[in-house]
This record gives sequence, structure tokens and C-alpha cells, in this order.
Amino acid sequence: MKALTANRLADGEVVFWSDGDWVERFGQAEVFADESAAETAEAAAKSQITVAVDPYLIDVAETNGGITPVSYRERLRALGPTNEPGHGKQAAGGADIALLARASGAARSKGRVELIRRK
Amino acid sequence: MPTLIRWRDGAAEAVDDPFTDVADDVAIPQGDVIISLARFQAEGAGLLGHGRQLGVRLAADEAPEALAYDLPCLHLVALTFPKFRDGRAFSAASVLRGRLGFTGEVRAVGEVFLEQAKFMIRCGFDAFVPGDGTTAEQWTAAAHRFRHVYQRAQDGAAPAFVEREGV
Amino acid sequence: MYRYDDIDAAMLEDRAAEFREQCRRRLAGEITEEQFKPVRLMNGLYLQLHAYMLRIAIPYGTLNSAQLRKLAWIARTYDKGYGHFTTRTNLQLHWIKLKDAPDILDALAKDGLHGIQTSGNCIRNLTADPHAGATADEVDDPRVWAEAIRQWSTFHPEFSFLPRKFKIAVTGSETDRAAIRIYDIGLRLRRDAEGALSFQVLAGGGLGRTPYLGSVIREALPARHLLSYMQAILRVYNRHGRRDNLWKARIKVLVASLGAAEFARQVEEEWAKTDLAAIDLPDTELARIRAGFVPTGFATLPAASAAFEAAKRESAAFARFARHNVMPHKQPGYALVNVSLKAIGETPGDCSAEQMDLVADLAERYSLNEVRVTYEQNLLLPHVKLDDVPAVHAALASAGLATPNIGLISDIIACPGLDYCALANARAIPIAQDIARRFEDPVLAEKIGELKIKISGCINACGHHHVGHIGILGVDKKGEEFYQLTVGGSGDDDAAIGKIIGPALAADRVAPAIDQMVEVYLRERLGSERFVDTCRRTGLEPFKEAIYADAH
Repeated sequence: MKALTANRLADGEVVFWSDGDWVERFGQAEVFADESAAETAEAAAKSQITVAVDPYLIDVAETNGGITPVSYRERLRALGPTNEPGHGKQAAGGADIALLARASGAARSKGRVELIRRK
Repeated sequence: MPTLIRWRDGAAEAVDDPFTDVADDVAIPQGDVIISLARFQAEGAGLLGHGRQLGVRLAADEAPEALAYDLPCLHLVALTFPKFRDGRAFSAASVLRGRLGFTGEVRAVGEVFLEQAKFMIRCGFDAFVPGDGTTAEQWTAAAHRFRHVYQRAQDGAAPAFVEREGV
Repeated sequence: MYRYDDIDAAMLEDRAAEFREQCRRRLAGEITEEQFKPVRLMNGLYLQLHAYMLRIAIPYGTLNSAQLRKLAWIARTYDKGYGHFTTRTNLQLHWIKLKDAPDILDALAKDGLHGIQTSGNCIRNLTADPHAGATADEVDDPRVWAEAIRQWSTFHPEFSFLPRKFKIAVTGSETDRAAIRIYDIGLRLRRDAEGALSFQVLAGGGLGRTPYLGSVIREALPARHLLSYMQAILRVYNRHGRRDNLWKARIKVLVASLGAAEFARQVEEEWAKTDLAAIDLPDTELARIRAGFVPTGFATLPAASAAFEAAKRESAAFARFARHNVMPHKQPGYALVNVSLKAIGETPGDCSAEQMDLVADLAERYSLNEVRVTYEQNLLLPHVKLDDVPAVHAALASAGLATPNIGLISDIIACPGLDYCALANARAIPIAQDIARRFEDPVLAEKIGELKIKISGCINACGHHHVGHIGILGVDKKGEEFYQLTVGGSGDDDAAIGKIIGPALAADRVAPAIDQMVEVYLRERLGSERFVDTCRRTGLEPFKEAIYADAH
């Protein structure tokens, strides 16, 4: 399953695609079960060059009765910084925030695994 | 003719381009032409002095010093920006104007980007083939955004430390 | 400090106006993100994890109180009321909106502040010895030369689209407090036998994926030829630095592949063809810049201060603060007072708007109106009378800025990491907080002594992990945060790249591992050896055993 995310051009806010619109809470994000629907949305999002910057698809999965991003990095984007619980989206609270905060672990997150090799 | 913007006397103007830019695998037509460095080195002698103007196009990794002895015969040197972020042509233009004393046209080709107008002019470019659909008016405005400059370059503008001496 | 004249001020205004127009074009869709990005970066604006980040330049780490107050005002008005001081002595604001950026740049320009060239493939902010102008051990104030380079490099038409970023650091002292060996160019001022100023020039340093220490390419460059020589170096780099591979594009790769001798030869060859008089500054301009840096307002005082000595006797806490955070000044009766931004459990390098205002007040009242930023992410009041240190300490303590830990285990360098940065693989801040809390006892911290821990959330090494006595690199291992430890590095005069000690550790094993290493150190140390000295003497084995023993 996928979701589509970007940063809003004007203010940099993390946003998620929801049926042709951008929403600020991951809990309201559209979840694509179908690969081609996801890619169609991505193409549409990329054409909105004055709205959102660098849209990309993320992996999401079912956890604890809800859907959350698979990668830790994306959960951080959906929540806010862990050193300041009062900053970012997490400050608003709510069930979807609580679900994100409870989610843990991740499969190999796409494109960001970097193991240090000894020279 | 492609849109050519020429810089003269502090302003940019759109002009017709008398030059044809000729790829290596195409026969050289009549009239003024711009050819690659390799082609110039192979065939240039035969092209000079036939009543036409000759320009040489340098790739980003080709040094203007390669043309040092030929510059008096050349009307134009085109310097390539393969991507606008590739800033080698700024050094090439600076060397061409400064060290090699070239007085012909120095033309920016490739991914030519309005926001670099001032940098290009200061390095000695005086002609541009913009890839972003911008107009001569926009280039004039872009080149005049700053009242002062801090360092000497190829455009003869007095640097700040010279202006300060006058105070 | 140097005050911007009408020309400097005009530069900032024109730049802010230019960016306002570029921003308008982007928001209107007239230019694409790919075209806008370098332009935005060259004004210090990044698109980060949660929002835009604005990196405001603090040239050679020097601010006056009006400027610090303006930074506080910007943080309060356009951000969440705080800022983060970085290892390049800049200030980062992490919650900026693009649409506010033009107004912010206008507001900054009014106080001689800007985000010019704090990012992008251009010459970045100059850093210098934070003790410049206050220390007895410098031959000349490096900031004079840093300001000369700042002007020359600003909007330099030939060098604004380099293969990669370019960082320069300057010191006037034989004690390197500017880490000159880890930058693209490092400059050290010296005087020859006749008293003439010269620069020792180092090139090819840099951290990141492939760390290098800079090599000397010129032992003694006459100081008046600094800019023309910089021109030669930059032109060789711009023409020959690699453009095909982002990870091999820094000058350190060029210097390593050519060898320092050949690189130096190419620079000398270019320099020999350069019209020096066109580029080097006339003596009048150098004198004008220099005049801006001569500190005025020192009182004639005895070297010792009865008030200072008495305060140390009366308070163990003040005495500890004096031992670690107060440093000797060249002027009798004065001192440099460090302002620790490493309160236990806080985010390293962060400073609230209220704290900035307080430090600005202290600077105005007690430090000849000057503040410094260090690359170790602390602040410094450079010209405080010893008589005034107790009052300054009391004020700092009331605002959580007096932790007596400069250079000690809890004075940790940490990048913002995955909590903020789009480039990061792991978080750095919680690791720093864990370690600091574990060693919060000031008696223990003092017993351990000098121990520089540096944490980066990714291989870009903004946290300088390669040159930490203990370096910690966050990595993403199958979606989990793991941490690679290195030991024995240093960014000081004993510069060295740290050695990897073993396999990466899970997040909750990092602070215990530091604990285990400290135990080994306290057991093994001889005499007054620092942690890093002991490591270098014993080798990594005893430390490695301690950390990984219970893995079996």
C-alpha cells in the first residue's frame, strides 16, 4: 500500500495527497492499494508545480488497527521532531497522532539504507 | 534563426543571429558558422578567410587556451553550460577575456539561465541563447539588480574598494 | 567589529530585493523547482523535513548586541522562538515559510545580516578563531582577513557555480581554535623574522563520506596577496574539480588525486599568470577593514581581580564555572566568558529568543557589545572584566546558560539530525541528550576532563564526528537507527580522523558504550592524559572489548 506526500511550496508544511487535494494530517491521507492509481496521483501532483515540491510515494502498512508509514523517517515527518513534543503536527494530538507515535520498527526503508563499510 | 540576446552598452537586446550552429556530423553550410573545437582543429584552416565569420564552440571540459593562437581570426567563441549548475564556462570566459584578451563575441549556449545573467556578463559574456524563454528586457533587468560589486571581473566595473577610495 | 558601510548595506538590500523577485517567479510558476533550488540555497534556504530552514550567516562568528536581538526577533516573529547555532557558526531557523523569506531577508539586512552563500556550490561563510582580538597568542586578528575574503567571495561571478561547496577557516594563532585542517582552505597567519605578515595555506581538508585533513600547499604567502592566491586556488578547482560525481566533487578529492605537490604547482602556475594588482586589496582598504576590528573601550585594570577571586572562594559552583568556562584575555583584568548552549538534557546548540536577548544585554553591558559563536555550538562573551564575571555568571545561570562544561563530556557537538534534516539517516539530538544526562554530575565530568564527543546524523558529517575524540555516526540499518562509533579523532592541533571501533550499536546502547569507554579510560590513564591521549597510547582494543564484551 502507498501514500503520496510532499512539502507545500509556500510554507514547507508536510502534506499528504487526498483525492486531488493536499491535507496536513497523515490520518486523512489517501491510501492506494493499487500501484497504478498511486502513480497516476503522483503524476498529477508533480504537475502542480506551484503547490507542492517533490511529491513522492511512501510505503504504508497496517499496524495496531490503523495505517502508518513503514519507514521511521516518514513517521517523523508525519509527527514532528522527537526533541520537541510541542512542535510539529504531534502538538495537535488526536487518535491518528497517537497511532503514529505508537508505531515502531520498519522494513528496509526505500533508498535510505546506508551501512558504513570499513575502508 | 534562434533567439539571440546580445549585451551592449549596459543593455540586452534581441537580435537576429547570423551564425548557424553546426553539429559535427552535419555538412558545413554557407555563411557564418559555429563549429566544435575538434572540427575547427581539423578543418578550420580551410574555412577561414573565405569572407565568412567563424565561431568555435567549446564544451565545458575544453580549455579556451586551446584557441590562444587562433583567436585573432575568430569572430566568436561559444561556451557551453551543459547544466546551468556547471560553472566551468564562467572561468573559461574569464580566461578568454582577461588572459587571452579576446575581443570578439563570447556567447553562452546550452542551459542558459536568466538568474545567472549578472555572473555571465561580469565574466565577459556578451551574447546569450537562453534556454528558459526569457526576453531581452528580463536580461537587462536581471543584469542591473546590484548597485555595487565587490571584486574586479571582466566587465570593467569598479569594485567596492575602488569606489571607497573616491569618498 | 567591522560595521557595514553604505556599499555593504546596499549589497544586502539588493540581494533581498533580488530574492523577493525570484521567490515571486517561483510562486507564480515562472521558474521550476530545479531552477529555483540553487537560487534559494544561495540565500540559505533549505527545504527540510518539516518546513523550510533558513541558515543565517554569522561571518567569522562575530555579532553585536543589535544583531543578536534581531536574530531573536526573527526567531520569535517568523519561527518558533528559538534558533540553532551550527558548526559553521551560522544560525539555523527550522520552521520558516518560503513566503515569509523575502520579509525576513529585508529585516535581516537592516542590521547587516543575511543568508548569502550559506548554502549552494559557492564559497560559504568564513569561520575564524572565536578568540580573535581577545587572545594574546595571535599575530594578527584573523577576522580582518576573513572580512576581506567575505567581500571578495560574495557574488563572485566566476565562483558561484563550483563543483561543490567551499569552506574556508582562518586563524591568527599557533593554537588552532578554528579547525583549519578540516576545511577546503585553512589559513594560518604568521609573522616572519622581519615582522611581515604571511599565511600558511592548507588545502584539501574536508569531512563527509571521505574525510581528509588539509595539506600545506604554501608555507608562507605574503598576506597582501591573500585574495589573488585564493583566486588561483578557486580557478584551478572550478576548472578541474570533478563534476560527474557529487561524492567526489569537493576540492579534497582533487588535491588527493593530484597530490598536494602537484595541486600546489598548478595553483602557483595559475597565480603566476594572475594580475595581482587587479585582485589584491590596496593597503588603504585593508587598513579600513582593520580599523573596524580594533576593540575600543578597554579600561586599564590590574591583572588580578579581587572580586573574581573572592567569588571563587565563596562558591564552589562559581569556581567550577571559572575553571571551565572562563578563559584568559590578552588585556589585563579581562577574560573570555563562554556561554554554554549544552545544558544537560537540552538540544545542543539551541538557544531560545529569550536567551539570545539576555546574551545581547550582557554583551552590551559587559562585553564591549560583542558576542562570538564557536564552531562547537556555544556562544562566547569576548571582553568581560574579571570584576564583572560573577554578575555575568549569575545572569547566565538564571537562563540555563552557565553549565560549567566547556570542552568536557557533556559539551557535545550534534547536528540537528533526523529530527529536522532531510538528509539525515538517524537522529543525533536524543543520543546527545542521553549521554549528557548520564554524565550530568559536574564532579564526574571534571574528573573525566577534556572529552570531545561529536555526533552526526548522516555521512555528510555536519556534526564533525570524524574529528571527535569519540565520534558517533547515525546510520539507517534496515529502517532502525544504529550508531557507528569512532575514537581518537581531533579537529585541534593534534588533528586526526577517528578510527571505527566496531559494528554499529542500537540507539539504546550508545550511552552505555560511552560509559564503558569512560570506565576504561579512568582505569588506564596515566598522569594527566586526556581521554584521547589514552586511546592513542593503548589503542582501541581495551575500549572495544569493554563495549562489545557482552555481545557474546
